[in-house]
Parts: sequence; structure tokens; C-alpha cells
Amino acid sequence: MTTPAPQSDAGNLSTFNILHGFTEALVRGMRSSFMKDSDYHHMTQCDTLDDFRLNMTETDYSESVADIPNLTPSGLQEAALEKMVTEFKYLRTQAVEPLGQFLDFITYEYMIENVMLLLKGTLSGRDINELIAQCHPLGMFKESTMRSVPTFEPGPRGYDDLYQTVLVDTPVGPYFAQFLQDSAVHGGSRNVLEEVEIEIIKSSLIKYWIEDFAAYCSKLGGETATIMGDLLKVRADTNAINITLNSFGTPLNEPGMRFSDRKRLYPAVGHLYPAGTSMLVDVGDEDELGRVLELFPQYSSIWGVHAGGGSEKSIDDAFYERDVQQLELAFEGQMHFGVFYAFVKLKEQEIRNLVWISECILQGQKDEINKFVPVFSQHAPWRKSGGRR
Amino acid sequence: KSKTAPRTMADATCTSEFCNAGWSEVLTHMSPYGYANFGIAFGLGLSVVGAAWGIWLTGSSLVGAAVKAPRIRSKNLISVIFCEATAIYGVIMAIILANKVKKPDEATYFLDEDWDFPGFYYAGYGMFSAGLSVGLTNIASGVSVGIAGSSCAIADAQDPSLFVKILIVEIFASALGIFGIIVGIIQSNACTFPIAPLE
Repeated sequence: MTTPAPQSDAGNLSTFNILHGFTEALVRGMRSSFMKDSDYHHMTQCDTLDDFRLNMTETDYSESVADIPNLTPSGLQEAALEKMVTEFKYLRTQAVEPLGQFLDFITYEYMIENVMLLLKGTLSGRDINELIAQCHPLGMFKESTMRSVPTFEPGPRGYDDLYQTVLVDTPVGPYFAQFLQDSAVHGGSRNVLEEVEIEIIKSSLIKYWIEDFAAYCSKLGGETATIMGDLLKVRADTNAINITLNSFGTPLNEPGMRFSDRKRLYPAVGHLYPAGTSMLVDVGDEDELGRVLELFPQYSSIWGVHAGGGSEKSIDDAFYERDVQQLELAFEGQMHFGVFYAFVKLKEQEIRNLVWISECILQGQKDEINKFVPVFSQHAPWRKSGGRR
Repeated sequence: KSKTAPRTMADATCTSEFCNAGWSEVLTHMSPYGYANFGIAFGLGLSVVGAAWGIWLTGSSLVGAAVKAPRIRSKNLISVIFCEATAIYGVIMAIILANKVKKPDEATYFLDEDWDFPGFYYAGYGMFSAGLSVGLTNIASGVSVGIAGSSCAIADAQDPSLFVKILIVEIFASALGIFGIIVGIIQSNACTFPIAPLE
């Protein structure tokens, strides 16, 4: 589609280490920086954020929190994210093609997020500097490009101008171009509300990104194609289900819109594609969604969590749990690229956990504090109990 | 006699004295000295290829894993030493074989009629196959030690108790190289190049 095929494949068991042995060993060394069960246990026992910070100094985050005298959840998130980004950039500088392009693909998702943040902020008239400060650090592109986004004016040619002048040079440019092409083909006059429009753009860009990434991974072949193929399929399905679920009660759910607009947001990869997504197009409310998902065993249990009342766990938590299980499996085999993707995603999950725990401590809600999904935990439900560490 | 284009397979036989009568003539007319020296070259060269392959397989992972866990540096050099051992087997074999290659006492253009031709050919073929035995087994041994060594370094960085267990895998892998040199020595034991005609 947009990204050219890799020049060489990732290499098999006996040739992978020529180009990628060092980088893979680096990321596997970083696996020891994840917090252990004992760390999580100590942290959930804390009563104040100072205790929490003290416990953090004993983990791998000691340097990150050393500079922050008064810890707040948002400060913690920034510091932890900064650490993850530093490690990722280190990996990226040591990476050789095709690993370099693979790591770039991981960052495109955050670039899309940043573009949408800047767009939304422009539409609500916020200051560009404030918006840039809020951008995800992994998805930054040139400062000048980011500062040109506020020149966007909503209107019939607004998005085309935005693409031509600003986004065409960025790596997410091709996805935007494809979105413009598709919407020109399918819908001349869009009489939808602005916020629906922005959601549609974001979902479309993510859809093209997932498809592009999946195509690249399958051309890499070998273990990488197998593992990343599975991870991206699951990701695409999560997106499809979330799009459908979030569209209930919005104009996107109207029968006229479902076929023309919502269908175009479902990615063309995934276990739900093509049979499941064509069924999802017709779904109008949660019962129908539940009936469709019953047909797919891996999603019926997740749906059961949502359908059974959201007090214990929400559907997002169920998705996170399933994701963590699969991403941990990516660390099992050696000599493939899936471990890099899994590292970034699992670190994100860990940062979410830390922010959740610190928020609960700050607000004094100790009974909610255990509702996070620990990474590489010995007590995980999919691990046999009694494993040695 | 002018040569006309052959019309059947039987006509295609070349009758000049410089032509070969078939593959058997080609193979048996290659000098046993050539066979023996190629055996030495293959033995040494392929062993070194296997050892080098193993070393870069394990070395790259060792360097990367040692960034986050510097304690593994010295212990995991054992994997590199196992790979190096396969190269040493190749060198040992090459030295043994090279010492067996002897030139005749008297420099003559054609060998005497009483020359020990059976022993001559036996020596050539024996050394060639000894070299191949060692070389090919050492490639396999070197690659497998390398892959196991790479996993060993990464696992040791996470959990030190795994090191000794994975080392056992490497020991089995390097035993493959030992098989090669044992068989090679047995094959080349009775090979001696004759240096004078039989009395």
C-alpha cells in the first residue's frame, strides 16, 4: 500500500543476530525493568504519595522520580513516559533496517494521536504551545510542521489544504491521503457534526495504519509475521468492537450512516474480518452486538464481562487483560521483532497501572486500588500458580 | 583422421589420447595429493566458518544483554569459548593431516611401476573425507552453540539460575564437533603417503 516492502526479511534463527542481535538483546534486558509483584504490593500498601515515591526509588524508576520533589499522578505519568521514550529512542538509534522501519511503524500510531490532538485543539481554539506540550513524545514530528497545523480552517477544502500544506511530508501523510481519497469517492457532501467527523478521521487513520503495519509484517515473514500478525489482528478487532460500541447513541449509529460511514472504519485485518465486520455493520444496539460476538469464542468472554454489569471490570479492562497475556507471549520466542512492539505496549500498560495506583492513593480510594493489570505477574490468571521466579 | 559430427551416442566417444573415458577416469586421475590438500583446506576452512558463525551469533546477544545486566559479561564468555573450540578441532585435524602429506624421496616425472598405488589412493581419499568430516560437523556444532549461547546470555541477564541449565544444552551442541574430529582421526589414521617405491 503506502510503505514499500522491506529490503530483506528479518532473518531466521541462524541469521537474525547479524543485524538485530544487539538490539534484541537490549530490549530483552529492559524486560527486567518492569515492576514485579512485590513492587506492586508495596505500592498498593502506601497511604501517601510520599511513601509511593519512596517505593518508586527502589524500582527501575528511581532516576525518573528523583527529580520530582512532589509527586503528582500527571507528573508521574510524564516522568515514566519520558523514561520509556528514552529507552525507545536508544533502541531506534541502534536499529538497522528493516527493524528501523518496524520501530517507526510503532511511532506512527502516536503521530496520528498527536495530529488529531492538534486538530481538535485548533477547532476549539486552544493555544498551539499548550497543545504541543501535551503531545505524546514518541509521535513528535518537526516543530515547524506541528506549528502549521493551526492554519487549518474547517470547510469543504479544509482537510485537503491541511494535507497539501502540512501533512504531506510526515510519515502519516499517506494515511491522510488515503482517507481523503476514500471520502471523496464515497461521500461528497458530509453533513455530519464536527466531533463525529474528527472521530471518523482518527478511526480511519488508525485503520490504515494497522493495515499498512500488518502488510509490512507479513512481508517480513518468519516468526515476525506470525507473532505480529496475531497481535495486530487482535488490535484491529478491539478497534472494530470499540468503534461499534462507542457509536451507539451518536449519529454514526443511524441506519443510513452505518453502511456508508461506520463500515469504512473497520480495519481489513483481524479475526473479525470479513465475516464479523459485515455483521457488525448492521448492529444497532448492545444486544445485537452481543449476539454477533457470541459467534467468536475469543470475544464472547470479553463481551460477557461487559454484559454482566460494569461494576467489577469494564470492557476496557478485559481488553487490557487479554492484550497483556498476548504481549507477554511475544517475549517467549527469540529472533523476531514482535518483542519490540510488545515492550512498548507493556510499558504503556505499566504506566497506566502506576498512574491508577497513584490516583487511588491521592483520592483515598483504597478499595479500587487493585483494579489494574500487572505485567509479567506470577499471579496472572493464565499462569499456573506455584511458578518459581 | 578428420572428426565428423557424431550422429549417435556411440559416435560421440572421443578417441584422442587427451580425452577421458568417463567420470571414473576423471576422478581417479585427480592426484591424491590434491585430494589430501583439499581435505585439509575444507577441514580447516569449514570449521572456522562454523566457529565464526557461532561467535557472532552469541557475541551480539551477549553485548546487548550486558548493557542492562553487566554481571553476565565474564560468565557468558564460556559460550564464545565453546564456539572457539570447534575452530580448534579444525586446526588440530589440519595439522595432523598436513604432517601426513609427504613428497617422494626422488623427484621423478612419472611414478615408478612399483609404487604403492593402493596406499597412495587410500591416503588421498582418506584425508579428503577426514577433512570433510571435521569441517561439516563443526559448522553444525558452531551454529547450534551460537544460537544456544545467544539464548543463554539473554536468559542469564533475567535470572542467574538459568545459566548452568542452558550451558548443558551448549555442551551437547559442542559434542557434535567432537564426533567429527574423532571420526576424522580414525579415518586418517592409516593414511600414509608412500615416499619410495615398494621393494
